Parts: sequence; structure tokens; C-alpha cells
Amino acid sequence: MEFLDPIVNFLKLILFYVVPFILAGQGTMLGGRTGVFNVSQEGVMLLGSAIGFLVTYYTGSPLVGVLAAMLVGAVFGLALAYFTTTLKMDQFVIGLALFFVGFGLHTLIPKLALGIQSSLPRIQTLGEVPIPLLSEIPILGEIFFKQNMFVYFAILLSIGLWYFMYKTKYGLEMRSVGENPLAADSLGINVAFWRYSMTILGGALIGMAGAYLPMEFAGTFTPNIVAGRGWIAIALTFFGGWAPHTILFGSMFFAGIDGLAVKVQVGNLGIPFQFLLMLPYLATILVMMFTFRRSRVPAFLGLNYDRERRS
Amino acid sequence: MSVKTETPTLKKSLLRSIAGQSIPYLVAVVVAFIAVGIFIGLMGFDVFNAYQTILFTSFRTPNGIVQTLLKFIPLMLQALAFTIPLATGKFNIGGEGQMIVGGIGAAAVGIIFKDLPGYILLPMVLLGGIAAGAFWGLIPAWLLFKFNINEILSTVLLNFVSFQMIDFIASEVWADPVAGHPTTVPIGEGGWLPLLIDNPPLHSGLILAILVAIGVYIYTNRTTGGYEMIATGANPRASKIFGIDTQKMFMLSLILAGAIAGLSGSLEVSGYQHRLIKDFQSNFLVLGLIIGLIAKGNNLAVPFVAFFIAVLEVGASAMQRTMAIPVEMVYIVEALVLLFVLLSDVVRRRR
Repeated sequence: MEFLDPIVNFLKLILFYVVPFILAGQGTMLGGRTGVFNVSQEGVMLLGSAIGFLVTYYTGSPLVGVLAAMLVGAVFGLALAYFTTTLKMDQFVIGLALFFVGFGLHTLIPKLALGIQSSLPRIQTLGEVPIPLLSEIPILGEIFFKQNMFVYFAILLSIGLWYFMYKTKYGLEMRSVGENPLAADSLGINVAFWRYSMTILGGALIGMAGAYLPMEFAGTFTPNIVAGRGWIAIALTFFGGWAPHTILFGSMFFAGIDGLAVKVQVGNLGIPFQFLLMLPYLATILVMMFTFRRSRVPAFLGLNYDRERRS
Repeated sequence: MSVKTETPTLKKSLLRSIAGQSIPYLVAVVVAFIAVGIFIGLMGFDVFNAYQTILFTSFRTPNGIVQTLLKFIPLMLQALAFTIPLATGKFNIGGEGQMIVGGIGAAAVGIIFKDLPGYILLPMVLLGGIAAGAFWGLIPAWLLFKFNINEILSTVLLNFVSFQMIDFIASEVWADPVAGHPTTVPIGEGGWLPLLIDNPPLHSGLILAILVAIGVYIYTNRTTGGYEMIATGANPRASKIFGIDTQKMFMLSLILAGAIAGLSGSLEVSGYQHRLIKDFQSNFLVLGLIIGLIAKGNNLAVPFVAFFIAVLEVGASAMQRTMAIPVEMVYIVEALVLLFVLLSDVVRRRR
């Protein structure tokens, strides 16, 4: 079955690229389903990539690096939750301000740690962890079960989130906060708790998405390494209808475009590479044109809930 | 009698409102500088020397002043491209892309018609940039109107498209083979903006930019159209009921923003570089954003905040050169200033 090799390799590559989209998409979705519209993804992912890279470099452990990036992301989530849920400030203003902070820190911190002029060191890229038995299955085993840890984690996370949100009582509580906080509040559901916890957890996932990028291929950090994936993650969340299972499949599409842009570039079809590099962004806009109006959006998305206010 | 008693109270209330507006800013700046100073000190750098460099590089030499003004022009226009749609409640995160496309438009006109005399070519170059920028603002406006696409996403994604466009133009279409960095050949000399000062060179785009800022202020604060714009942002539903075409206001504000950002691109090409250079817009996206947010969307405050940020930018790059303190340190100052300015609102609301 040699002729299938290019297809198998391409599908494998998509799963490889899909991780940051899934993580950042689910992170956005978690905050959004409780009504907190996070727009700081790009900044948090940039900072997560810098922190993840540096901590991995100093400790030698990608796991510690990722945890550090998650912690930083969680702190940004906490800040977003505090300013919007407790201080009732505009979610977009705070989100953009946090984007700015993340953007500024993502080049400042490596410069402080490694010096201004020095070239950046390299870290180990993530290795494949084949799953025993399952990876022996022809074709499917090669695509799905010979991947790095994060691919497994991202997919399992999506399934877990789906179970939590749609099959448990707590998931119902959480979703009700984003749909009708007044009703939720009157039933004794703690609106602030759900907004805080989900925004913090979402921030951690977004930080993790950033940390994956330097470990994925390059093994080193470059400024602006995220290249818009944080913004695309927001579009992806709309595309995925703010639900974990559809976001999982939506992510595959965006990862596919990323993979396609790389493959075509290598294939050298005579198209200037700049146009291929535009593909992910143009495709995102195109997708939004077809899905934005129909997308099922949490009713209280982007709105702060004030118990004292009469509307 | 009544006139006599009214005038002083009016003056007093105006003074009080200006003081009330600027005191939080002053406190915010001072507190931010102290906080970052402690941090720089803990890192083992000389805080006084660092702050001297940051604050006074712009004013010590003629070159410093001109460098600051050259930064001030695009930064102020970028910030206006953010605050104009903000008045209607829309977020334009695409000022950088609109500036790049404006620069491409200006350069294209300036290169294709390079032999035309100045009195024709110069207006064409400037208008080419404005039109191209406005077109780049029209796309998200149309996507918003037609498909209800969130403007934050469409504007920011178009930035990334424009990054590739400028790379293609500067390294394929009109590439200057001698330049090491993607750069186009120069535009015709007729398209160069006249200089205000020859040495160090300061171009007359400064006057244009200030006129635009005044025009924007007058439009948003003193005309019916501007009033409708602000009303739309304050309460879209009520505005619609009172007969304001809110959709039109959203679109108009985004296109206007694109035109202004496009103008900043053509000023860079026609006034400063005389060619299109990839990455001529260094971090203007985040800087325009922070200026607009610190000014809280107030178009009167934008030029002053933009000048302050330009001073910080010029001072910070001098600080990195001479003291090896990373230039990004001023981002922290700016972020803290924004934080305290925003928090002062919360405090005022509570009282």
C-alpha cells in the first residue's frame, strides 16, 4: 500500500498541526460558554511560547515548560475574569489590553533571560510516543497512534470536555451561565464561580497551545511564532459553534489548510510562496462568511452580568 | 448680570474637567514609572540613567526631536484608525494592514507614474495610499454588513494577508536588486513630500497628519455625522429607533479608519522612505491599540498620548543601544499606564 503513503503522511501532519488549534479553540470556548469573550489569545499564546521555551531550556523538561506556560495563561485568564466579572469592565478592552501585555512580554522575557544579542538556543522537539498494539494497526495506527503526547492529550481533552458539558449536571450549570445568568443566579448557581473557573482553565489551555509551537518543529523560539493562530482560534470557535466536539473537527480543517500551505510550497507549483502563506488567513475569512451568521453563539457572550442591574 | 456670573463658573467647570481628565493620567504615568523603575533596579540596571535616556533622548538633540516626530506621525494616525471605529463600538485591529496596503498603493502609483511632475504625482501618491487603505477597511466593513462577521477577526486576519502582499511586492514585483532586505525601487521624485526642515530631514506630512487629527476631532465632536457615530456606539438600539442608520455608521467608521491608516502608509513612502520597505511598520498595530486605549477613545487626547508614546519609543531604543536594557521594557510602562487609567474609571464609578 505504498501509494497511500503521501496521504497517510499528510493526515499525520494535520494531527500534528491541529494541537494548538484544538487547545486554543477549546480554551476560547470554555470562557465563552460562561459569557466571557476572550480576545487575548494571540498575546497569551505568544507569551506561552516564550515561557514554555525558556523553562524547557532551563529545566530540560518539556512537561515543566508546558506547565509553566499553562500557569502564565491561567494568570491571564484570572486577570480577564477579575476585570470583567468583578470590576464589570468591557471584555474587549481588557482582552486587547491583555493581548498587548502578552505581546510585549513575549520578546522582553527572552531578552532578559538570555541577553539582547545572543542567538537563541535549541530545545528538544517532541518525540513520537507510539501506543502499544494500537499503533500496529495498518494506516490508522500510523496516523492516529504514532504521535506526540500533546496530540493524544488534545483529542482526549475534547472528548472529556464534551462529556463534562453535555452529560453532567455541572456542565449544564456551566452552560446556563452563558445563556441566561439571571435565571442561573436565581436557581442558586454561582455565576461568578463558573466565569472565573472556566476563564482561568481556558487561559491555561491557550498558554499550553503557545508552548507547543516551539516544541513542535523548530525546537527554538522566534518572535511572532504564533503568526495569527490565536486570532484564527477565535474564528474557529465560531466555526465550531462553541461546542467541544465540533471544535475538534473544525480544528482539523484549519490544520489541514496549514498543512496544505506547507505541502504546496514544498511541491513548488510555480505559485509565489507569499500567496500560499496567505491561505490560512483567507480561508479563515472565507469560512467565517459561510458560518458566522448561522453559528450558535452563547446568548450572553461578551456581556457582563450584574445582579443589581435591572434591564 | 447673569452673564457675568456664568462665565467664571463655566470656565471653572471646564478647568475642573480638564484637571479631572489629566490627573488620573499623571498619577498613572508616575506610578507606572515607579513600578517599572523598581523592576529595572532589581535587575541590576542604573534606574536614573535609564529614565533619563527614555525621557530626554527626544529633546536633547535636533535629531532626537525629528526622530520623535517621524514616529509620532504614523502612531497618531494608527491610533485614530483605532479610535474612530471605537466611537461606534467597533474594534479596528487592522490599522497596521491598512497602513501596509496604503503604502503599497502609494508606492505603486509613485513607481508606475514616476515621470509625472510633482504637482500631479504627489497628490496621486497620497490619494493612492488613502484609497488603498480605505479599500482594506472596506473589506471588513462589507464582511460585517453582509455576513455579520466580527470586525476584530476580519481586520486582524487581513493584517497577515497584507504582510505577505508587501513581501511579494517588495521582493518580486518592483524589487530593488541591490537592497539586502525586501525593498522596492524608489518612487518618482515628483511624489516626494516637500521637507519642512532639511537637516535632519522632517517632511511636511507632519502638518497633514495634524490637520487630519483636527479634522477628526471636529467631525466626531462638532458635527451631526460625528454625533450619530458616537450615539451609535453609546446605544445602537436606541440610535436605530431614533432613525440613525447604525449599519452605515459601522461601515463608514471602518472605511474612514482604513483611509487614515492608508494615509499614514503613503506618508511613510512619500515623505520618509521614498520607497516601500518590508517591515516599515514596526509594531504599529500594538502601539496604535495602546494609544487608543490609553486615550479611552477620546480623539482630543490621542495626539498627546501618541506624542508621549513616540517619546518613549525613541528613548527606549536609545536605552537598548547604550545600556543594554531591552526596548520592550516600555511596553510594561505603557501597559501599567493603561491599567491605572482604566482603574481610575472604576474608582470614579464606585464613588
